[in-house]
Amino acid sequence: MSEIDEAEVEIDPAEDGDGDDVKVEVVKQTGPPGVLRDRYTIRSNQPLPELSTPSADAFVAEDKRDPSRALFGLICKPELPPRVNAMRALKGVSTPGLMQLVEWGPMNWPPAGRQCMTVVYERPAGNRVMTSARSDVPRIDEYQITKRVIEPLTAALKEMDSRGVPHRSIRPTNLFYADSNGERLAFGDCVSAPPAFDQPVLFETVESGMCTPIARGSGNHTEDFYSLGVTVAFLILGRNPVAGLSDDVILGMKIQQGSYNMLIGDERLPLPIIELLRGLLCDDGEQRWDAEDLDLWLSGRRMSPLQPRGEKRAARGFPFMGKEYFNGRELSQAMSKNWDQAIPPVVEGKLELWLRRAVEDKDKANVVAEVVRMALNSTTDKKSSTDLMLCKVLILLDQAAPIRYKGFNAMPDGFGSALAAVMASRGDTRLLTEIILREVPRLWFEMRGEYQPDNSLMESNFKELRSYLSQTGMGYGLERCLYELNDALPCQSSLLGEEYVVEVKELLPALNVAASKRTDGKQIPVDRHIAAFLGARMRSDIDRNLTALSDPNQSVAMMGALNLFAVLQYRLGPESLPGLAAWVGVMISPIVQGFHGREKRRELEKEVPRLVRKGSVVEIYNLLENAEERVRDEQEFAFAQAQYAAAEEEIKHIITETEERATEADKIGRQTAAVTGIIVAMITASIVVISAVF
Amino acid sequence: MAKKISAVDRARATAAAKKAGSGGAVGINKGVVLMVLAALVPFSLPTVVLVGFGMLPTLASWASEKGPNKYAFLCVGGLNFAGVFPYLFSLWFGVHTLDEAFRMLTDPIMLMTAYGCSAIGWGIYAGMPPMVASYLAASSQRRVNNLKAAQKKLIEDWGDEVSKKG
Repeated sequence: MSEIDEAEVEIDPAEDGDGDDVKVEVVKQTGPPGVLRDRYTIRSNQPLPELSTPSADAFVAEDKRDPSRALFGLICKPELPPRVNAMRALKGVSTPGLMQLVEWGPMNWPPAGRQCMTVVYERPAGNRVMTSARSDVPRIDEYQITKRVIEPLTAALKEMDSRGVPHRSIRPTNLFYADSNGERLAFGDCVSAPPAFDQPVLFETVESGMCTPIARGSGNHTEDFYSLGVTVAFLILGRNPVAGLSDDVILGMKIQQGSYNMLIGDERLPLPIIELLRGLLCDDGEQRWDAEDLDLWLSGRRMSPLQPRGEKRAARGFPFMGKEYFNGRELSQAMSKNWDQAIPPVVEGKLELWLRRAVEDKDKANVVAEVVRMALNSTTDKKSSTDLMLCKVLILLDQAAPIRYKGFNAMPDGFGSALAAVMASRGDTRLLTEIILREVPRLWFEMRGEYQPDNSLMESNFKELRSYLSQTGMGYGLERCLYELNDALPCQSSLLGEEYVVEVKELLPALNVAASKRTDGKQIPVDRHIAAFLGARMRSDIDRNLTALSDPNQSVAMMGALNLFAVLQYRLGPESLPGLAAWVGVMISPIVQGFHGREKRRELEKEVPRLVRKGSVVEIYNLLENAEERVRDEQEFAFAQAQYAAAEEEIKHIITETEERATEADKIGRQTAAVTGIIVAMITASIVVISAVF
Repeated sequence: MAKKISAVDRARATAAAKKAGSGGAVGINKGVVLMVLAALVPFSLPTVVLVGFGMLPTLASWASEKGPNKYAFLCVGGLNFAGVFPYLFSLWFGVHTLDEAFRMLTDPIMLMTAYGCSAIGWGIYAGMPPMVASYLAASSQRRVNNLKAAQKKLIEDWGDEVSKKG
C-alpha cells in the first residue's frame, strides 16, 4: 500500500454546551483517493451529492499547491463519452456566469478500479438554484433578473461561443449561486456527459427534444439560448409550470401550442420579459434570439415580441393510432414513435391524399407519391425499402426534425455519442450499422432542402464511414466508425486494461504498462480497437500497415504490426519500452519462422532477447525486416530445394533401375573378361619372345 | 485390299531379315578364316596341327557362344593362346616338323598347360560379371547413402519444407 488509507467522514450528531446540534466527524477506513496530474487529490470518502450531476459524482478535491482552495471533482461515468474538446477549450476560463474548470484528465479511481475521466471545478460560493425540477425556486423579479441572471449568463454564453463550445446543459438544476449573497448565478458543469444528455425535454428545442438523449449532438448557441429562455421562465415564475407532465406530453404541447404558450400560457408578465421570452423561446431556430439580440435587449432596446409562425393547420385531421393530427410535424413525430404501424397508411396512399386535399400542398403530395412508388418498385428487400421510404416521408413532413429511423432519432453530430455509448455498454449496434450502410444521413441531408456547408462536410464524413463499415479488415469496420465520429474518445481496447488512451502518443506507454498485467500469453498487442483507433487518428499514414494486419499470412500481418509500433516509438517515443518489447516478442515467432534457414532463425532468436531487454521495438523491427537478407534466404532455400529434389530423383533412379544395372554389369563383366584374355595372351607372347631373344 | 499381316508374322519376318543380314557378315568371316587355314596347310602343317589341337577349347567357345559379340571366345582364346604359344614358338624356332608337333600334342604337360589356361579363361569369363555386378551394386549403394546424407543435412539446415517441391 503506497498511501495511507483515506478516512470516510461520518456525521454523528451531538450537542454542545448550548444544546445546539454540532457535527462530529467519525473516521472510518476506506480506499485511497485519486490523484489527478500529481496535483489534485480527489477524496473518494468525501462525496458531495449536492454538486453531483446525473452523469457524474462529485467529491471533495484538494490542490496540493493551495490546500485552502475550495474545489470539487466530478468523476465521469466510463460508459458515457465526455466532452473532452469542451474541457480543453474551457480549462482555466474565468467568466462571471460560468463555474471555473480548473483541471481535467484521466485519473486512476480506486472505487471503480479503473481510470475515469475527472474534471475539477472551483466550488461555487452558493448552493444550487433548484435542487430538482419539481421543487420550487425563489422568484426573481423583472428588475433583478437582468443583473443577476441575464447579464452574467449571457456573458458566459458569449465567452463559450467565442471558444466554439456550446454549453448544452442549461437548466435551473444546473445553475448555482456564484456568490454567498445569491446575487449572481453561474452555469454548472457541461463537459462530464455528452451534449444535452442530462437535459430534460422541457429545456431542449423541439428538434432536440425529439432526439434520443444520447444523440442530441453538440448543437450550437441557438439551443443554449432556448434553454436559457426556459430557465428564465422558471426563475420568473418561481416554479416549474409543467411539473408532472411526461416528456412526450411536453413535446406534444410544444409542437401544438409553441414553447412560449406552453410555458407561459396566460401568465401576466411585463412586456420586456415577454419580448425576451418570446425571442428566446421561438421555435423557429432562425428567428430565435442570439447574443446580439440579447445585447440589444440588455441595452434597453424594446421591440414587438416575436409572434410564432406555426405550421399551417390541415382542414381535417389525419387519423393515426386512434388520434387525429393536423400538421406534418405532429404527425411525423407520432409516426416516428410507431414505426411499423406508420408504414401501411403511407404505402396505401392515405398520406398523399391527406397532403393533397387536407393540407393542400400538392408539391409535397407529389414527392410523397414518388417516394412511395419508388419504394414499391424497388428490387431490394421489401422491408428495407419501406423503412427507407418512411424515413424519407418523415423528413418531408418535418424538414427541421432530426434523423428518425426505426425509433432511433439523432442529430447527425450526435451519432458518434450514441455509437460510443452503445459499444461501451456492449449493446446491439445493428440499428446504427444499418443506418450507416443504408445511407440514412445522406437522405436527411439531401431532403432538407437548404444547403449548409457544415452539412456538406458531415455528409462526406458519413460517406467515408460507409466505406469503412464495408471493409471488415483490422482498422476498419464499426470500430473505425466509432473513432472517426468521436475524436476525443479513449481507445476501448481491452488490451489496455485500465489505461486511458486518447492520443496516439499515449498508446505505447499504455501498452507497456498493460504488458505486465496481461493474462493471455499468446495475444498480440494489437486488436480491432487499437487498429481502428490508430487508423482514425493517423489516417492514410498507416493504410499500408492496416492492409498488412489483415493479411492471412501470419508473418506478413505480424510484420505490419511490428512496423506500426516501431514507427510510433520512433516518432513519439519513449526510447525504452521493455514491457511492450517483451510482449512484441510473442509476435515475432511467425516472422522468424518466415526465414527458411535454421541458422538464420537461431541467430535472430539469440539477438531478439537482448533488444527486448533494451526495450527498443525499433531495433527489433530493423533486425527482422531486412529485405536483402530475405531475398538471399529465399534464393538459397530455392537452391536447397532443387538440390534435395535432384538427390531424390537420383536415388529413385538408382533404386528403380537394378535390373538394367545387372544386365549392364554382365555385359561389362564379359567385356572385361575378354580384354583380360587378350592382355594375358599379349603379355605371354611378349614374354616368350623377349626371353627367347635375350 | 492388301492382306492384313499379323503382328506375329511381322516379328518373324524382322528376325529372319536380321539373321540373313548378320548371317551374311558371319559367312564372310568364316570364309576368310577357312581360306587362311587352307592356305597355311601346305606351308605349315605342324603349326596347323599344334594350333588346331591345342586351341580346341577356343574353337569350342566360339561355336558355343551365341550373340554378335564373342567375348567368351576372346577370353578363353586369349588364355588358351597364352598356354599354346610357348610351344608354338619352340616349334617355329626349334624343330618345325610334324613329328615334333605330334610329340608336343602327346606331351601331357603341354596339353595340361594349353587346356588348363583355357579353363582359367573360362573361369575368368564366368567369374568376372558377378564381380563387376557386386562392385557396381556397392558403388550404387555408396552413392545412395551419400545422397541421403546430403538430404539429411539439407533438412537440418532448412527444415522439412526443403523436401517439398517448390
